[in-house]
Amino acid sequence: MVKGIPVSIKFFAVAYVAAIILFLIGPLVVVAGVSFTAGDYVTFPPQGTSLRWYEAIVTSPVYLDAAWTSLKLAVLVTISATVIGAAMAIVIHRQRLPGTTFIGGMFLAPLVLPTIVFALGLLIAWSSYWGATSLLTLWIGHTVIAIPYVIRTTLAVLATSDKFLEEAGRTLGAGPWKAIFYVVLPQAMQGIAAGAFFAFNISFDEAILSLFLRSPEIMTLPIQIYTQLEFSPDPSIAAASTLMILLTVIMILIIDRLFGIQRVAG
Amino acid sequence: MAAVALNNVTKAFGDLEIIKGITVTIEKGEFVSLLGPSGCGKTTLLRMIAGLESTTSGSIFIGERDSTGLPPEQRDIAMVFQSYALFPHLTVLENVLFPLRMRKLSARDKQVERARAALELVQLSHLADRRPRELSGGQQQRVAIARAVVSEPQVLLLDEPLSNLDARLRENMQEELIQLHRKTGLTTIFVTHDQEEALSLSDRVILLNGGQIEQVGSPSELYSKPSTRFAASFMGSTNLLDAEIVPHGDATAAHLAGGQILQLADGPASCGPGTVMFRQEDIQMRPSSGTSQLTGVVVTRIFLGARVRYVIDLDGQAIRCLASTDKLFEVGETVGISVPVDRMRVLRD
Repeated sequence: MVKGIPVSIKFFAVAYVAAIILFLIGPLVVVAGVSFTAGDYVTFPPQGTSLRWYEAIVTSPVYLDAAWTSLKLAVLVTISATVIGAAMAIVIHRQRLPGTTFIGGMFLAPLVLPTIVFALGLLIAWSSYWGATSLLTLWIGHTVIAIPYVIRTTLAVLATSDKFLEEAGRTLGAGPWKAIFYVVLPQAMQGIAAGAFFAFNISFDEAILSLFLRSPEIMTLPIQIYTQLEFSPDPSIAAASTLMILLTVIMILIIDRLFGIQRVAG
Repeated sequence: MAAVALNNVTKAFGDLEIIKGITVTIEKGEFVSLLGPSGCGKTTLLRMIAGLESTTSGSIFIGERDSTGLPPEQRDIAMVFQSYALFPHLTVLENVLFPLRMRKLSARDKQVERARAALELVQLSHLADRRPRELSGGQQQRVAIARAVVSEPQVLLLDEPLSNLDARLRENMQEELIQLHRKTGLTTIFVTHDQEEALSLSDRVILLNGGQIEQVGSPSELYSKPSTRFAASFMGSTNLLDAEIVPHGDATAAHLAGGQILQLADGPASCGPGTVMFRQEDIQMRPSSGTSQLTGVVVTRIFLGARVRYVIDLDGQAIRCLASTDKLFEVGETVGISVPVDRMRVLRD
C-alpha cells in the first residue's frame, strides 16, 4: 500500500464511488421502492407499503402473457445464440479456415451497429418477403444481437487455455469431432455459460427490436411495461421491473454457484 | 524391424522449405533424439511423424503401415507436449484413461486397471483423483508420460518434455526416462536442443541443421567423431582452427592462419582448406620451453574447482583448454600446447 495519499485524491475517490452508487444503484432502488407503494401513482418516495401492485400483475393476463412470451423467447434465443456463438468462437479460435477474421468481424458487428438500424432493416425485409412478424422474427433478431456476446465470452476463455490441448487429444486417439466434444468444449464451458447468461438477459430485456417488430402475438414484457407507461402509467410497471431485476439476480447467483462469477466475468 | 521409417520426407510452407529430404530409419525399441538448434526443423519433423503437420513429399511409415496421409488419431503413436497439455477438466486418472477410451482399447474395467498400472509406473498412483492444476510441474510431466505410454503405442514422441523443469528436476526426469524406456521398451523419439540431454538419453542421435540431417550416430560417435564443422561445434565446447592442409612426408600437416604448423595423422587425401578440431580436455599445456607443437599466450584463467579453464591466444585464434590444477599458468604467460595426433580431426566445412 502506498501511504500518505493526498486528502484531495481520497475525496475524489469517495465522490467517484458515491457517484457510481447513486447513478447505478439509485434507479433500481427507486423502481423497487415505487413497486411497494400503496398509492395509485408512480411517485417516489412511495406512499405507504403494500404488495397490491405485485398482486395486480400476477393476476393480470396481459402481464402474464407478456412474461410468458418473454421467457419463451429468451430460452429460445439462449439456445440458438449459444450454439451458433460457441461454434463460431471455436472456428475463429482455430484460425484454420480462410477468411476467419472477416467472418468473425461480421458476427461481432451487431455490437457496434445501431440496433435501431438493424431493427428497421429486419422489419422492412421481413414484411416485404414473409409478411407479418411473428415470434420467429423476434427470435432471429434477438439471436443476431446476442451471438457476439457468446462469441466474446467463449473466445476469452479459449484464449487462456493451452492451445496444444486439441492436438494432444488428436494424438491420443480422438478424431476431429471427438476432440472438439471431449477436449475443446469442456475447456470453453465457462465462457459458453457466461455467453448463455448474457444471451438470456439480452433477449429478456431487449426493447428496440421488440418494439419495431411488435404484433399482438409477440408482446414481450419490456414492451408491455413500455406500453403501460405510455398509455396508463401505474406502479404495476415498477412491480414488473422489480421482478425482472430479481430474476437477473437469481440467475447471477446460479451462475456463481455453478461456475464462479469471477471466472465467468473475467 | 523398423518402427519408423522416413523416406525422403520434405515439408514446405509456400516457398519456404523447412524439411529438405530426410531419410532415416528408427528401429523397434530404440531411443532416438532429434537434436538441433532452434529452427532446424526438429519439432516440425516430430509433428509430421505425429500427423499434426502434413508431409509435402516423401513417405512416413509407422510399423508396417504407410502413415503419410493419416490423421494423428489413426497413427499408432502418442505424444508428450512441451506444455504437457493435460486436460484441466479431467482428473489425473481420467487423463490417463483418455487414450484408452478414445481408442477403445480393452474393456471398461480393464481400462481403469491399465491406467492405474501406468500411474504406478510413474509413481503417481496416490494422486489419481487430483486435477492437473493441483500438481507440481514434475508431477504434471509424469502424468503426461503415463497418459502417453498407457496405450502402448508403436512410437512415443516427446517434444522437449524437460525444458520447462528446473535443473535438478530435469536430471531426475532424465534418469526416470531412461528407466521408463528400459521397462516399457517403447520406441521413443525425443526432440531436444540440448546436446547434453541428447547424449545422455539416447541410443542414437539424429543431428539436424537447416532442415537436413547433419549426422546420425551413437552419442559417443557424435561426440568424438563429428563429421562436419557444425556437428563439432554443436556437440560441445571445442576448438576449431581454420587451416590449410598440406602434404607433409607420409602424413599431412595443418598450416594455421597465424603461420604455426601442426602435424596431423591423416593421409594426403584431405588436402586443401579445412578445419582442425580438438577438444579442450585433450590439450596438454607446458611451459613454453618444452617441445610443444604450438605456442600461445594465456588470456584468461578460470578456476573451476577440479580443473582450470584457460583461454589461449594462438596468433589471433582463441582456443579453450581444460587443464589440471597441478601446474597453474599465469595470465600473460607464453605456453606450449600439444594435442595427441589421434585426438585431432580434420573437418570439411
